Amino acid sequence: MSAQAAAFGALADVEGPDVELVRHAPLSIDGVEVGATLRPRDGEALARAIRSLAERGLAAVPIGGGRHLGLGNRPRRADALLCSSRLAEIEFEPAEGVCHAGAGVRLGALRARVARDGWELPLDAPDDATVGGAIAAAGIGPRTQGFGAPRDVVLGLEVVLGSGERTRCGGRVVKNVTGYDLPKLYTGSQGALGVIEGAWLRLRPRPACARVLELPERPRADAIARAVGASRLPSARACALQGEAGGALAGCVELAGAQASVDRDASWLAREHGAKEIGADAVDALRAAQHETPAPHGMRFRIPLLPTATLPTLAALGPEARVLVYPGLRLCYASFALASADDAAGAERAFASAAAAARASAGSTARASAGSFRCESAPPAAKRGRDVFGPAAAGEIALARALKVRFDPRGVLSPGRFTGDVG
Amino acid sequence: MPDLLTALRAVVGAEGVLARPEELFVYECDGLTLHTGSPRAVAFPRETHEVQGLVRACRAHGVSFVPRGAGTGLSGGALAADGGVVIECSRMDRVLSLDAENRIAVVQPGVINAALSKAALPHGLFYAPDPSSQLACTIGGNVAENSGGPHTLKYGATSNHVLALELVLPDGELVQLGSPTGWSAGLDLVGAVVGSEGTLGIATAVTVRLSPLPEGVETLLAIFPDVVSACRAVGAIIGAGLVPAALEIVDRRTIAAVEASVYAAGLPLDAGAVLLVELDGSAVALPGELARVRALAAAAGASRVEVARDADERARFWRARKGAFGAMGRLAPDLYVHDAVVPRTKLPDVIAGVCAIGDRHGLTLSNVFHAGDGNLHPNISFDRRDPDELRRVLAAGAEILALCVDAGGVITGEHGIGTEKRDFMGLLFGDDDLDAMRRLRAAFDPDGCCNPGKLLPTPRFCAESNPRARGYDRVPFE
Repeated sequence: MSAQAAAFGALADVEGPDVELVRHAPLSIDGVEVGATLRPRDGEALARAIRSLAERGLAAVPIGGGRHLGLGNRPRRADALLCSSRLAEIEFEPAEGVCHAGAGVRLGALRARVARDGWELPLDAPDDATVGGAIAAAGIGPRTQGFGAPRDVVLGLEVVLGSGERTRCGGRVVKNVTGYDLPKLYTGSQGALGVIEGAWLRLRPRPACARVLELPERPRADAIARAVGASRLPSARACALQGEAGGALAGCVELAGAQASVDRDASWLAREHGAKEIGADAVDALRAAQHETPAPHGMRFRIPLLPTATLPTLAALGPEARVLVYPGLRLCYASFALASADDAAGAERAFASAAAAARASAGSTARASAGSFRCESAPPAAKRGRDVFGPAAAGEIALARALKVRFDPRGVLSPGRFTGDVG
Repeated sequence: MPDLLTALRAVVGAEGVLARPEELFVYECDGLTLHTGSPRAVAFPRETHEVQGLVRACRAHGVSFVPRGAGTGLSGGALAADGGVVIECSRMDRVLSLDAENRIAVVQPGVINAALSKAALPHGLFYAPDPSSQLACTIGGNVAENSGGPHTLKYGATSNHVLALELVLPDGELVQLGSPTGWSAGLDLVGAVVGSEGTLGIATAVTVRLSPLPEGVETLLAIFPDVVSACRAVGAIIGAGLVPAALEIVDRRTIAAVEASVYAAGLPLDAGAVLLVELDGSAVALPGELARVRALAAAAGASRVEVARDADERARFWRARKGAFGAMGRLAPDLYVHDAVVPRTKLPDVIAGVCAIGDRHGLTLSNVFHAGDGNLHPNISFDRRDPDELRRVLAAGAEILALCVDAGGVITGEHGIGTEKRDFMGLLFGDDDLDAMRRLRAAFDPDGCCNPGKLLPTPRFCAESNPRARGYDRVPFE
């Protein structure tokens, strides 16, 4: 019996009344095919599933809505997906401005629920992403500028560690320094240390007013200067520039807050920059564009950048890269088309461009840690032999490894996928 | 091998090391004077490589070490719990760079909090976290404690403003964590280190976000007949979707102490509580927000609302709040400043419970707190020379923490755990929760030589306390 067949059989032992096992057509995670999904019904079942996988020497990739599966290195091993979809309870107290959501709750459903009472969920991953997935991937979108990063939204987490223990960290209150800030460590850790069961989240009041304006297409330097200025308006909640790195760029700004403030800033944008009002769905379109990769074969990178370094960063990317710049977030996304899924030379060029852009992105404040980037989507062949998390400093990788072996000593959770754990 | 003191002097010079008992006396505690621990030496580095050298010297001699800023912490985090070496970072006080265009600064850990804002001011920027001790406390200490302050409600605590760290690890190696943009490709190790109370290493350079000065500021004082109605006003303001920069409550006993002191702000002595509200942001939006706050305060029972007419009056309003701790010195020789957080809707009940605990123990207890965050600071004035009173102070403190945890809260919002509350961690967390924290610590400091005895309970107490552990998630909403 092949190792794969043996693993397939062993998964049946993990199944139980509390853990559903679904066999399905193979899903490729960077070329590693996974044909089974475990769906625990609650946190205790999730913990049992992880312990059971460990006892059998199996490995699983945690999955929420599947929105961020492209992020990560090629797994060393993946016998099953570990799906949080059944952990779907919401607890919400409007007067408190916080809520608790199971990891499997879809962001769209939670947005709708809290909006009925005048609150806004400040996580800007797509509607079909789950709470657990959006936190594990630290998923962001254009409105993250106004919302704050996911790390600033998560108040507390319940996490099943790779070693199988159910744990809690943080709290449900908006201010807390009780013990280590483990919620920040887990947010963005992609399930490499543990699988999120549920989360306490800080909500924001829904703004009284929101307007979206389009910044007309301008030559690169001019467009950047205008967008940086627009992103710093008091009511700016989102601001983006799009286009080819070597060409003209068009912008989009969302203003949100008190009516008087939004109207004043909108008038200024119209007067100074010729901005024109457009529909609010333009911001949702930006979020969708952020997750797109050129078809049929392409690569997408996330490159942090300081506002003053935007122009040299785009220049380093090369004229044909498609870019989405969030000046207020200090980030840009760059996409490259490949000739084919096996276009090794194209992948090499794309990685080299991203690395050059990252070096340019930190301006004069460069320290050893500056210049980081990560590849968020690529064909399996383009990832082979590379760490998609870019050139993290050696000390940072050593710490990531030290954490991985302590939180997931048997390598049950996505072995090989995270930085510092390259197989 | 040279002895420890010789090794330390080789790194920072003879003038950079204190070791005589009378010199060490001042370093035996921080702002929490009830807990003491005398170091065997105090060393004063000026540069990163000197911190590395000091750490390596300590390691070579098998001695633990404790980073220290200004010593203004309130949980015993900066004392040498097992007689180690204090590495005092106050001489590392340079702003290394200030990039106004990108709104970031890189500072050494000994830079004083208020000095950073002062340096940023000419550029129309400021450093948002503002602990009450901001005239003395250092950025390095703020990083260790994830310090907050009155404006945390809108601007967040230190962790929200630290983008990158240069960190000397407990083995003396140097790592760069995070990036000047605030985004890292891998784990959020900056987030893990901020608030780790100096147990994961010593920050030697801190890259922080600077914020633009708001266009306008409005500050108002609302006078209430009692604390409970002031708390209700806070709930109404939060529930209405307003996000003030600060929402602070000062109770009757505190008002009396402040008005009798040099911090007197003209507060009415017959008031049950005063709510201080600061709104900032877009100048055109402020008048509307101010009107809404006035109406909500009146509806909650405010007998009078005063709006500061100018900067002097704003300073007078804040004097009542920021001078409160100093004014307590009039009441008794000692002051125990407690710190806990509860869900905001539980504030009225919890405050009533806290006062009842103080009364039951026959203590002088007053409240001044960050009401918008649900962050309580019950202050107990006492005389430590009276052993019975000291016993009652400690008993009341334990009861207050239990009350807050029962309400779904946590045992510290901004002061940290330190030595003060490490044995209360079991109120909130179980064995496995605490073990996860130990794993984080061990990944950075496998030998446990960096600020030992802080933050985590001793295994003995942990085992004893665990059966009582109750999580915030088991407390239902109203």
